[in-house]
Parts: sequence; C-alpha cells; structure tokens
Amino acid sequence: MSAQAGPGTYSPAAAAGDRRRERKEELRRHLAEDADWPRADGRSFHDCRPAFMQTGPTTAASGSAYAEFGKTKVIVSVFGPRESKKAMMYSDVGRLNCNVSYTTFATPVRGQGADNKEYSSMLHKALEGAVMLHTFPKTTVDVFALVLESGGSDLPIIISCASLALADAGIMMYDLVTSVSVSCFRKNIIIDPTSDEEAWQDGSLVVAFMPARKEITQLTLTGEWSDGRITNAVELCMDACSKLGDILRDRLKDTATLTCE
Amino acid sequence: MELRRPAPSPLVDNYVVPGDVVLDLSEMNNQTIKLGAGLRQECDTIEATSAGKLRQLKPNKYCIENSQKRYKPSVEDTVLGIVVDTKPDNFLVDIKGPNLAFLPVLSFEGGTRRNIPKFKIGTLIYARVVKANSIMNPELSCMDATGKAAKFGQLKDGYMFDTSTGMSRMLLSSPTCPVLEVLGKKLSFEIAVGLNGRVWVNAPAASTVILVSNAIMRSESLSGIKQRAMVENLLERLS
Repeated sequence: MSAQAGPGTYSPAAAAGDRRRERKEELRRHLAEDADWPRADGRSFHDCRPAFMQTGPTTAASGSAYAEFGKTKVIVSVFGPRESKKAMMYSDVGRLNCNVSYTTFATPVRGQGADNKEYSSMLHKALEGAVMLHTFPKTTVDVFALVLESGGSDLPIIISCASLALADAGIMMYDLVTSVSVSCFRKNIIIDPTSDEEAWQDGSLVVAFMPARKEITQLTLTGEWSDGRITNAVELCMDACSKLGDILRDRLKDTATLTCE
Repeated sequence: MELRRPAPSPLVDNYVVPGDVVLDLSEMNNQTIKLGAGLRQECDTIEATSAGKLRQLKPNKYCIENSQKRYKPSVEDTVLGIVVDTKPDNFLVDIKGPNLAFLPVLSFEGGTRRNIPKFKIGTLIYARVVKANSIMNPELSCMDATGKAAKFGQLKDGYMFDTSTGMSRMLLSSPTCPVLEVLGKKLSFEIAVGLNGRVWVNAPAASTVILVSNAIMRSESLSGIKQRAMVENLLERLS
C-alpha cells in the first residue's frame, strides 16, 4: 500500500508549518532591522492580548477558573482544603500543592517542553505569598492547572487563573495574584508575547504581583538585560498587573451578581 | 468615656474580594469593631481575605458571607454527616470539612456503655457541632444543649443531595425561603438541611421527593419571584 497521500487528501499540518515558518522569517527580518515593527496580531508593543476569564467551569472542584488570552487557553481546578496524607508530618500551617500539565494537543510539538517542567514549582512560589496558609493547618489545598492550548505567556496566565480559582474556592488570601510577562528584543520591550515572539526573544521577565497590596510575589528574569530596561520592564508589568487585577475583581463580582439574580 | 457607634462601612451588602479595604480605622477613635469570618486587620485598615458579600451583623460586627462547596466547621452549626468509619469510642463522620469529625458514642440521649448505637458505614446522621477548631478535628453531638435528642440522630430512608453552603443558609433563613414556602403549601414532605451544604428530603411518594429535590437544586441561582414561578411550573407538570 502506498504511503503517499492521494490528491484529495488534506494535510493541515504541512500548511500550518509553512505559515509558522513564514511568520518566524518575517519576525527575524524585523529583528535584523532593529526598528519598530507591527506584531503579528496587530497589537502595539505595550498592548496585552484580549482576555476572557470565567469561574466555575469544573463542577467537582471546590473552585475553578478558565482563562483565555488570545490563543492561550488554561483551566485551573482547586481541591480542598482536605486532610493531608497520613504519611506527611504534622504541620501547623497548610500545604499548597501545585501541578501544571499540558494536554497532548496544546503545542505544535507533542509533549511538554523542557522549559515547562518547572512551572509547577514557579506557580507554587507565586501563590504561596498570597495564600494564608496558617488558616488551614494539617490540611492541603491542591491546585491543578491544565494548559489546553499554548499560545505564549503560559505561566503568567496560569498564575492569574489559579488566583481566580483560589478566590472562587473561598481560600483565605491576602490579595489576588496577577501576572504578566515581557520579552526583550534588542532595544524593544514587548508585553504579553506570543509563542512565536518567545522563540526569538533575547530575554524574558515574568512578574507575579498583588495589585491591592502593591507587592511582588515572584520575579523571574532570563536572558540579557540592562539595569535601566529591567526597571522599565518591571514598571510596565506592574501597571499591566494592576489592570488585570481589576478584570479579576470584576469577574468575581459579576459571577456573584449572576448567582444572586 | 462615651463610646460612639462606628459609622457603617460603605461596602456593606456589596461583594468584596481578597485585598479590598473594607474599613479605614484611622478615621475612628474609641470605637470597638468585631471581625467575623473573611476579615483581618492590616495596620489601620480592615481588609477582606475571601470573596463574598460583606455583612454587618451588629452595629459593630462585620463578616463576609460566601457560598462554597467546602464547609468550615463552626460551633452550634447543624450538619448532615455520613459515617465513614467506626471506632470503639467514636464514629468518624464526613461533614464536607477539611477533616473528618468525631461523633462520640456517648453523645446520644441516654447514651451509656450498654446501649451504644450501631451505625453502619454510609449511615446519614443529623448532628450538632460542639467543638470546632482549626487544629483539632471537629466534634459532633446528637443531643441539644439540654441533653435531649430533639431532632438529631440517624436519618432513615429519603434522599440526600449536595448544595453550596450559601444555598443551605438560604433554606434555613428566617423569613421562610420562597421555594420551601410554595412547596410546603402544596406538598407533604420532611426536610433536614445541614449548614455544611447537604439536604435530606423524605416523603411518602417518590415523585414528591424528586420534585422537591429538583426544585431546591434549581433555585440556587434564582431570585425569590423566579423561584416561585419555577416551583409553580414544576407543580403544574406533576398534576
């Protein structure tokens, strides 16, 4: 039997691959010019993608949230507080257990990338500063994040979505946590990069921020940055996080209003 | 020294989320404020720590009322528990809380070593929380404060379903909940509501049990008028 596809066969993967290569070539050309260039989705450098957030998609969980930022789609479920396993030692503060996983169809290349393996611990570090662990001793709160589609800036979206899910579950928190990432391209700083832009970045900065308290819970920096640009990037992230915080608050309040009506 | 009544928070009866400043204490002097669940003091401000509606219980007491799937045990709450294990001195009961609750074998009316109740695993029990502490497992009792069984004990037959804690509070609210009011006028049934978000319904006819259960489950996200309309619609279908 011939392995070759017939004339009527439709092969979406090849076409998608060609388009992706074209976009990368275009991006590389713009970077070589080192000037202001239009982003693939028409945004300016300091514009975030349109955000859609919703609470309560998972009925079995204590709290859950769904977030969609452009092509990135994430669902987070929170279970607990529930009794810690017998094997664990007694603890007078609660435990926060975070797990981030990707669906097999989330990325063009099947399987979770090497960079994404540490997302679970990064999510834990971003949230543990905001969650009042002393309010549920001897117990564990489980946070399970599932990336349905990866379109870039996955970790910040996971953190923001997890924070919304924790609030939905009624877990005591000092404040909501919002997160935004920026990428550095030569002299340009772009906010909320897509996966294509992340592939060509010189450096990246992820900030997890508590908007009401104006405190940073996590700051992750990779690549080459100069002092002045780091300051600008952090300020840009904090401003975006504050605006995202308002969206999260409105989302929670809207859900409550719908329930009461 | 005269104690003045503190001015109420502008956010009372509004929805607040973690981090929201509920009260500014710098504007107050010589005033006592009691904080309920979901609130904490941070320097000169009172902040929300959980999402929900801010309620003013007394002129100087505030708390956040929210609807959750999990239950946080509180003393004097009436709960519906399921026996998950039996020990010589107590039963282990699941009350949808962070930890299993203890129900001592002697905490029944006239309970002695000779007449210990025998509950199988899976038995549904209506009980009262007598001890609730974040560090210890909650303790239940099937007696009221006077030592009488009252309404507590094993619930036989019927149908039990889960709702949110907010829904169970609504069913137990002081002006009777519209759903129960309309259903009670037309149908004959027994109901036990636990503040832990569990409801037990029993009636002579299975159709009545199904109708009452469905009406309660559907009413969670409806206003009073819509609840009445929905129940009347269900009753029309039955007749």
